Amino acid sequence: MRRGFYRLKGAKDNKKDPGESLGERLARLFDIPGDVYGNRPKVTAIGRGEVLIENFKGIMDFQSGMIRINTNNGVIKVTGEALNIREITNEEIIIGGKISNIDYDA
Amino acid sequence: MFLVHLWNYIRGYVIIIVTGKGIERFINICSKRQILLWDIVRADMDSASMKASIRGFRLMRPAARKSGCRVHIKKRCGLPFFLYRFKRRKGFKLGLFIFSALLILSVSIIWDIEIIGCKPEMIPQVMNVLNVDNIGRGSFKYKLNPKDIATKLVLNVDQIAWAGVEIKGVKLFITIKDSIEPPVLIKNDESFNIVAQRDGFVKSMEVYAGNALIKEGETVKKGQVLVSGKLESKNPEFGTRDVHALGRIIARTWYENSLPVSMIYTQRLKTGKIHKTVYIRFLDRRFKVSGGNLPYEMYETETVEKLITGPFGLKLPIGLTIDNSYEIVEKQVDLTLDEAIAVAVETAKEELRKLMPEDCIVIDEIVKHYDGENNTKYIQVVFECEEDIAGLEPVLQ
Repeated sequence: MRRGFYRLKGAKDNKKDPGESLGERLARLFDIPGDVYGNRPKVTAIGRGEVLIENFKGIMDFQSGMIRINTNNGVIKVTGEALNIREITNEEIIIGGKISNIDYDA
Repeated sequence: MFLVHLWNYIRGYVIIIVTGKGIERFINICSKRQILLWDIVRADMDSASMKASIRGFRLMRPAARKSGCRVHIKKRCGLPFFLYRFKRRKGFKLGLFIFSALLILSVSIIWDIEIIGCKPEMIPQVMNVLNVDNIGRGSFKYKLNPKDIATKLVLNVDQIAWAGVEIKGVKLFITIKDSIEPPVLIKNDESFNIVAQRDGFVKSMEVYAGNALIKEGETVKKGQVLVSGKLESKNPEFGTRDVHALGRIIARTWYENSLPVSMIYTQRLKTGKIHKTVYIRFLDRRFKVSGGNLPYEMYETETVEKLITGPFGLKLPIGLTIDNSYEIVEKQVDLTLDEAIAVAVETAKEELRKLMPEDCIVIDEIVKHYDGENNTKYIQVVFECEEDIAGLEPVLQ
């Protein structure tokens, strides 16, 4: 059941343009941050050794030199040395290691 | 972060190694299913090690099947696994049980009694009251009722104004406030005479109230009225007035004791044999360890306490008690006349001292000896003393 729901949501997302929806536009009108409404990812880098990504959809690739994370706004690629996932839950992922790049749509 | 680690440790977690092609998929499914994973490290192309809670590990099976990964445990960490090891050790459990039982037992008994605030000579009285109720070191705290003990102390010990009993930890604190003895009230409306308490020769007298019937230098007999409580006026018309006679009559008194002189003296001698009885002492209780019954008819016992000394010079009421019993033989010894007389005089004096009142001052000692019947010699000891012989007696109407 859960699985079906997941697929349905994914299919809907694919069809839709990744641009702003009506709700998001409204949210912008009322100055509601994108990560509070919508599913925009929030990327927080703390120093050089820790990156926190909220509102992600899943990890696509996980190697010690590169981690690719799927979000609603495309794929975020984190590259570096000796990368590891400190913690992963439904809403957020904390990446540790020596980070050199955070790229979008890679 | 430390708290998180601590929480994970308490809950228990496993370090697992996941092998397979779809590790990313495995991680995604896990995170979607609320299975918390942390410290995920890629080991090589098709394996990664990560940590998961015990609950998470149980729920992991479908995720592993879907992603085609194999999961196996590298290490079990945390408190539940640590405790699991002790589950089967019976001796350990027994030890834990005995330890906690001893601990509870030792904190639920009184280890020490402290009496505060009273004169040292009253402590035995206080202890007597406690002993009657079997309260002492080693009695259970829960059986004691501080209020009851305090009430009993106040009722049974003289000269106590107030007693407070408090149990603090394993100590019983008894706080006592002495009362000041009320002065003896002299009722002026009742009439009393002063009578002689024993025969004597009046040396000096101070009469504060009453009509003195004797003079200094007179000899008085026991029971004789010395100061009358009836005040007679010089003028017969006024009649008499009843007063409470008061005064000090210092008189010479004599105490006499005669004893036959015995030429044979029984001496108690130690034979040199010692019998040791060893007890283990715990608080006020003693448990015999070795020794058995005493083989001697007569013995003197000396008790030696060997207590365990704790830290800070604290003496614990646990240790050994050793009773050294010395065998004693009574031996009849023939004495010379002088020695025999000396022994007899000493015994006579001791007997006399027991008879005499406390406030009596010995002025002179006279020792006489004379021959009695059947060739026995007698000695006579006379103490000449000075004391107050005034005794009060109500006047009978």
